[in-house]
Amino acid sequence: MMAWLLRRLAASVAIIVAVVTFVFVLIHLAPGKPCAVGEGITDPEICRQLVRQFGLDQPILVQYWRYLVELAHGNLGYSFALHRPVRDAIADTAPFTLQLAGAALVFDFTLGLGLGIYQALRANRLPDIVLGNITLFVYSLPTFWLALLLLLLFGEKLPLFPVGGASDPILCPTVDSLYCLADRIWHLVLPAATLGLVGAAGTARFQRSAMLEVAKQDFVRTARAKGLPERRIVLRHQLRNALLSFITRFGLTFPFLLTGAVLIETIFAWPGMGRLTVDAILQRDYAVVTATALIASTMVVTGSLIADILLVLADPRIRIHDDAVGDIVTA
Amino acid sequence: MPRRYELLSILLAVAALGACERRQLCQAPDCGTLVDAAIGEPRTLLPTSAEETTAQDIDEQLFLKLADVGPSMNTVGDEDFQPLLAEKWEWDGPLTLVFHVDPRARWHDGQKVSAVDVAFTFDAYTDSAVASPFRAQLKRIASVTVRDSLTAVFRFRERYQEMFYDAVYHMRVLPAHLLRSVPRDQWKTAPFGRQPIGDGPYRFVSWQARQAIELRSDTTFFLGRPGIRRLIWRFTPDMGVAITQLIADQVDVREQILPPEAIERVRTAPQVKLYPYRGTVYTYLGFNLRANGDTTKPHPIFGDREVRRALTMAVDRASLVKSTLGDIGKVPPGPMSSLLWIWDPEVRQLPSDTVQAVRILNARGWRDHDGDGVRDRDGQPLAFRIMVPSTSMLRRQYAQLLQERFRLIGVHVEIDVVDGSVMQERTTSGKYDAAMLSRQNNPSPGTGIAQSWTRAGIGGSNVTRYDNPEFDRLVDRAISAMSRDQAKQYWRAAIETINADAPGIFLYALDNVAGIHQRVDNVQIRPDSWAALLRTWRIPPDRQIDRDRVEP
Amino acid sequence: MTFGSWLALMVALVLAYEAVRWLRQRALRDGGGRWRRFFRHPTTAWGCGILTFLVIIAIAAPLVAPLDPIVQPDPVGLKNLPPSWTFLMGTDVFSRDVWSRFAYGARISLGIGALGALIAVALGSLVGAVAGYYRRWIDSLLMRIVDIGLALPRIFILLMAVALWDRLPFAWLALVIGLTSWFGTSRLVRAEVLGLRERDFVVAARALGAPSGRVIFGHVLPNAAAPIIVSAALSVGNVLLLEASLSFLGIGVAPPTPSWGNMIADGALSMYGAPWTTLFAGLAISLVVMSLNAVADGLRDALDPREDAA
Repeated sequence: MMAWLLRRLAASVAIIVAVVTFVFVLIHLAPGKPCAVGEGITDPEICRQLVRQFGLDQPILVQYWRYLVELAHGNLGYSFALHRPVRDAIADTAPFTLQLAGAALVFDFTLGLGLGIYQALRANRLPDIVLGNITLFVYSLPTFWLALLLLLLFGEKLPLFPVGGASDPILCPTVDSLYCLADRIWHLVLPAATLGLVGAAGTARFQRSAMLEVAKQDFVRTARAKGLPERRIVLRHQLRNALLSFITRFGLTFPFLLTGAVLIETIFAWPGMGRLTVDAILQRDYAVVTATALIASTMVVTGSLIADILLVLADPRIRIHDDAVGDIVTA
Repeated sequence: MPRRYELLSILLAVAALGACERRQLCQAPDCGTLVDAAIGEPRTLLPTSAEETTAQDIDEQLFLKLADVGPSMNTVGDEDFQPLLAEKWEWDGPLTLVFHVDPRARWHDGQKVSAVDVAFTFDAYTDSAVASPFRAQLKRIASVTVRDSLTAVFRFRERYQEMFYDAVYHMRVLPAHLLRSVPRDQWKTAPFGRQPIGDGPYRFVSWQARQAIELRSDTTFFLGRPGIRRLIWRFTPDMGVAITQLIADQVDVREQILPPEAIERVRTAPQVKLYPYRGTVYTYLGFNLRANGDTTKPHPIFGDREVRRALTMAVDRASLVKSTLGDIGKVPPGPMSSLLWIWDPEVRQLPSDTVQAVRILNARGWRDHDGDGVRDRDGQPLAFRIMVPSTSMLRRQYAQLLQERFRLIGVHVEIDVVDGSVMQERTTSGKYDAAMLSRQNNPSPGTGIAQSWTRAGIGGSNVTRYDNPEFDRLVDRAISAMSRDQAKQYWRAAIETINADAPGIFLYALDNVAGIHQRVDNVQIRPDSWAALLRTWRIPPDRQIDRDRVEP
Repeated sequence: MTFGSWLALMVALVLAYEAVRWLRQRALRDGGGRWRRFFRHPTTAWGCGILTFLVIIAIAAPLVAPLDPIVQPDPVGLKNLPPSWTFLMGTDVFSRDVWSRFAYGARISLGIGALGALIAVALGSLVGAVAGYYRRWIDSLLMRIVDIGLALPRIFILLMAVALWDRLPFAWLALVIGLTSWFGTSRLVRAEVLGLRERDFVVAARALGAPSGRVIFGHVLPNAAAPIIVSAALSVGNVLLLEASLSFLGIGVAPPTPSWGNMIADGALSMYGAPWTTLFAGLAISLVVMSLNAVADGLRDALDPREDAA
């Protein structure tokens, strides 16, 4: 077990390094340099800082090495557009994205699991069919389109929720009281619901089919044949085994959440990393772009690692193969 | 107790706790919080380098000018100006202006404001290391010296109408004792710009990155206590979100509402009152007269004056304005907004005449030789790219309208949507073909037009690199003319020259409509800077709402 | 809408309906277990129908669209008109006919979707097959690359690629999206190939000395068709959504060429007063993705080997 864990950790670190390298190469492949006149920054002082910090006039391998060294010291670079160290900019925005992703995750799984289990219990009867079509439709919605529609609905027709921003800047500039916590949650509802709704539909579909898969298997048929009450069968066997697939899916939901967050944050003016990235890309702020790619990948890899660990803990029967665990692919 | 009620009572207790934790209510008469939905986030609040209108609006509250224009917006002479930092002034000879700093003025850290600050400010604004965009406006002032601690002396190089205006309008006086130690070439990124200390009616409180900037009134302000205690500029990514927040009563002020359909939406919101006022912005499609990426050579397409004239004639400016802006926009008779007194629709402009445009293009050799629908000459197609900032949906809309107009006469256009800062870099360095640009006017026609269209502005705001010595001469004459009538004649000649040369298509001049919460009293808006008189606005105690009463 | 375009639209509707109905009847009557399982749920047939209809619309765009999608006839008078008999889906902010843009936009969006999915599935299948067949170090290397690919949220890479290279014509856009979308498929295919590898016919082929290439392309891949086909169906939906997201952000398909994604973006400007542009384009994307998911469900049921055996 320990050996497996260490190997997994090493593999995760290797992946992150590879991602950083890839992003670094990609940026340097692009035409134009961030410090050439007219391309990005014309301010000579900042240019000088840049060249000093990243050794831009040196061969690419040296630049790469310098970048890794700086990274090891926790220095993520300097953002030209924001006039601050990238680390500060990310430290400001990352918590907001995590809040959004977390709330969306909670929404996703509570609604999704509930629906999926309900559907599996009523398999092929009317409630299942109706819900099945609804989840299919919701799952297919482009998240940003849903966001626009919700904005239209709650911005114009039913002003129930705030439309934009993460908090009321007058009453609650920081979350330092219960009231402000409630205010933050109230601002979180629309964006998290948008992100979570589409995910919930997917989770419901997946959970339903996973549970039905398990239902077909022999040990469940045996239990039923033995005359065990239906509820116990569901709770003990179907649910438990389906839960394993759910844990795997949890690890894979992260990339989806971060991707969706980019558009949702832009539409709802949520001050998170996604919006920071979009702005930075449009401004050719390379330091921020590399840093956010790095952070995003780290989140994804960590999520998948946690999922794998949970899976092994939950069911010791699962063989520990290097990549077999992650093989349950979802749509 | 049944489980239901247990749960309910817990919830109620939590809610009560939450309510108790709310902050104490403010009781004083000047309680009041005004939230403005600002578009985008400024880079710095240091006045020498504050370029965004949001930054300038905030600086208006933090830093004082020596004097400011009055409600008549007259920039000639000195009778119509209101004293601010300077309590009085006098002329000591035709080229010398003496200001007396008000002895009651204090910096927010307690120090007195002195003439040394005034001299230091002039030095900084004109220092090339600071690279202030306002530098060019100060070139007619030779020097600013200190006669004693409260007396500053301005010396000019020449006599002209707007000497006083130039001395007071462009500079906000800076604290020498706090900025002297900052190296001039680092002013743009100096920490002072994110935590400014000024002498104005409001003090800086906080700047939450990407969220908001908060100011608080200085109750000891020597010209009178401001009416509203807190001012908050809340950043939103675009106009749409800002307007939605205004309608949803989450913000109090939106100083400009676009597009016209949004004005109708805002009109239906019961708590918002609309205030129209003259606009200061005009937008044009600027042609890069020099080659894209190489300013030593003329542009292969736009270097030809006839082609530029043809392209201008191909566009029916009036119908485009009607389509996008309805009532709140006008076709400008030249590079100016409706604020300027030289606005004269009778001035000679190029007509909208597609037939003639086609004829000119044919005559210049631009025909469709290969039958692909796009004109070409010597193998090069009549095609170019229009650069548009991602934040302005109005300009993006216009770009698409223009694209279609040009397509109909065989000109192929592609649209590049880029970030505002990228656009700034590219236009300044000449790496573009054409761009949808906006300019904001000061009350004086001289400043803006000189900056954007004369040779002196090349490398700065004159991004089309329009260089006509005749035009420069006329503008100079207009600015130095000693009578208004004389100036008007010269201006007319200058505008007609630039219209004939068509370095750009002057598309629209916006009139503004501000949406302000109806509880705000005594709203005074000066067209050149809506926030200039914010300190006179009031929120009467009987009309206060939740966000006013919170004690910060 | 002209008479001709109404006629073409009706023909398209009827054609789609009849085609699917005929297929379904044939399948249920003469087809084997697979076909019957495919059409078991009514949603699959509906999905097929909707897809067929939209594909016909895309192909026959010049016939069903009465007006040119990029011409702006009258930006003052015809701006933002609600749907009517003349303008089936209303006009947009530039007075263009939304229905015509919808039809031509279908070409672009579905085209990019198909092309991107093709690239993604082809690349993914190849990589997965090679990894699963050769195993050992090739497998490890390739799967590490796949892990890296899965770790990087796609939209970051796409945003970067598109923003850095400024202008990407249609085909390049599909290529870039395809190049970032093959990782999931490769995992699926690899799992399948690992199983197939030990099957009799593969062992026999190798024993007989067939070159690896022949074995992979001739025996293994055809039998791994099930996950590949399902993957393909789902990929089209994913690529479509990605293209829409990029166009919405302003860096996908450039105006004035219509695509469903940039129609949503155009419509967002006037969404409060004139929601139809955004509405119809978004609805179209949802319906296509939904249909593809329904079809993929049906395919999964149909090609499920356990059901075959049972």
